Amino acid sequence: MMEAAVPEPKRTATPVDRAVLEAFLFEEARLLDMRRFRDWMALFSDDGTYWVPATVDQKSPYDQVSLFFDDRDLMKTRIDRLEHPRIHIQTPPSRTAHLIGNVTVDETDDAKGHYVVSSTVIMVEYRDDQQRLFAGRQVHRLRRNGDGFLIAQKRVDLINCDSAFEAMAVPI
Amino acid sequence: MPNGGCDPIGGLVEPGRVHRRVYADPDVFELEMERIFGRAWLFVGHTSQVPNPGDYFTTELGRQPVVLTRHRDGAVYVLFNRCTHRGAKVVNERCGHATRMTCLYHGWSYDTDGALVGVPMPEGCAADFRKEAFGLARVPRTGEYRGFVFASLAPRGPSFEDHIGPIKSNIDDLVDRAPDGMLAFDLGMHRYIFNGNWKLQVENVLDSYHVPFGHASTVNKDGVQFARREGDKSGAKVVEADQAKTAQSWKGRRSYIVGNGHGWTSNTALDDGKRSSAAFDDYKRVLVEKVGAARAQHILTPRLHNTLIYPNVSIMGLNIHVRVIKPLAVDRTEINVYPVRLVGAPNAMNFGNLRLLNVTHSAASFVQTDDIEAFVRTQKGLRCLAPEWVDISRGLGAEEPDRELNATRGSAMHEMVVRAQYKAWVGYMRERA
Repeated sequence: MMEAAVPEPKRTATPVDRAVLEAFLFEEARLLDMRRFRDWMALFSDDGTYWVPATVDQKSPYDQVSLFFDDRDLMKTRIDRLEHPRIHIQTPPSRTAHLIGNVTVDETDDAKGHYVVSSTVIMVEYRDDQQRLFAGRQVHRLRRNGDGFLIAQKRVDLINCDSAFEAMAVPI
Repeated sequence: MPNGGCDPIGGLVEPGRVHRRVYADPDVFELEMERIFGRAWLFVGHTSQVPNPGDYFTTELGRQPVVLTRHRDGAVYVLFNRCTHRGAKVVNERCGHATRMTCLYHGWSYDTDGALVGVPMPEGCAADFRKEAFGLARVPRTGEYRGFVFASLAPRGPSFEDHIGPIKSNIDDLVDRAPDGMLAFDLGMHRYIFNGNWKLQVENVLDSYHVPFGHASTVNKDGVQFARREGDKSGAKVVEADQAKTAQSWKGRRSYIVGNGHGWTSNTALDDGKRSSAAFDDYKRVLVEKVGAARAQHILTPRLHNTLIYPNVSIMGLNIHVRVIKPLAVDRTEINVYPVRLVGAPNAMNFGNLRLLNVTHSAASFVQTDDIEAFVRTQKGLRCLAPEWVDISRGLGAEEPDRELNATRGSAMHEMVVRAQYKAWVGYMRERA
């Protein structure tokens, strides 16, 4: 099983790296806001995971429930469903706006092409006459892939991760 | 009260239909809190949530905050979570460990059996003040079966055995899957909440009629659902090429009722012969070692899809979990979904179950979210003054006895189970406390 814990930040990166990595996060958020879910999934490596824990400081997705813990198989099922015409929880569809800020580069390893980037995410979701807000800290573990990156893991720690949620259909 | 007259409650339920007020009238909800949640046997929690002396777990029974504790002598208590002094909720955390439970306000502290053990500045107490009279109040009655703890807020009424007896074997069905014959509720819990009446969820757990339509988004172009069990390559075929064929393929599915509002639906048709993965095969091997091949074969043969233990808990046999229904208001309900760890099963098997429960019954899951949308939409629809009645007449009169199971059975595409729930509902609601 892969290591799921997020390492302590080591701030060693240069500002140039930060801008490139930040641009990648903005692009990822844009794909979600445009509901280009299949393109979003393509940002993940084949062994990539998308994880939204359900408890504060959750150590592992393997022994506690998670709001989302999708490997590529589950992610594909989720996206097939998001594209299905009879997904009732998306009738009407959600409209979202992500705001990504406070980006810090926690780890860089240029030789291996591994990067760990933390940021604050706010997502406003509007659907069926209701607007709600999600907020938290997210950590992306990225791998260099040609000129770009692949997501090995995206972890989003919502500030209210252990609360009771109304139904959620789209990724944060 | 609605309708007035000498039988206001009976007037809300008729053969094959219930009045919309049952879901939409705040007065009916208030009466439910008093007459159903105020006295029925309610599921509280599982003993594994308080494994060691000093462990506690807080929840609500109806709208009553309670705390489940494990005392030094190993006994489990269900206590009203209310300081006997001025009324503050004593234990505020969801769960934890403490040798004393201390009120934040004036510092009164209680032992884990509820006994009052500490009062700051005791010299100020009234001359006849006796600590023994000021312990945390215990709920009037509790009962336990294989770790499942139930409580009744009424001192009198049907016994725990009368209530749980007919549905015990459904609890066994789940617990026996653990090689050590024990469950542990230690994998966290999913919480979802919706603007809808609690009975919408209660009715839904035994409603198979909605599956081919309500969960259409979970099937592929061939009508096959995603794999929901560890070891399965794909899920059940839920939708056929045309409606007539779909109806045909669902014909074999049955529902069962056993009184008290309890019931269950039969298993999802899956190819168990092909069920295999490293985790599942390892689990099966361990189970065979513990209980023998024949018994393991019996345990691993699915019989149950969902079980309802009326009024507040369901057990799912497919994506194994225990679901607790918590009414908050006439149009607001919280649900707690507990994955269960099969004690003695390999970690990989327990993770396999957990991984799939995340995508079937979390707030962000593929299955439950479409149900939630149906609950919300139903609550909105029931604001309409016309028609006044909700139809639950499918299969009315088609029930038949199942002597082998000592139950009454009907097609899972019918609404016999909902009618049985309303029979129990009327029984509770009519009777004055």
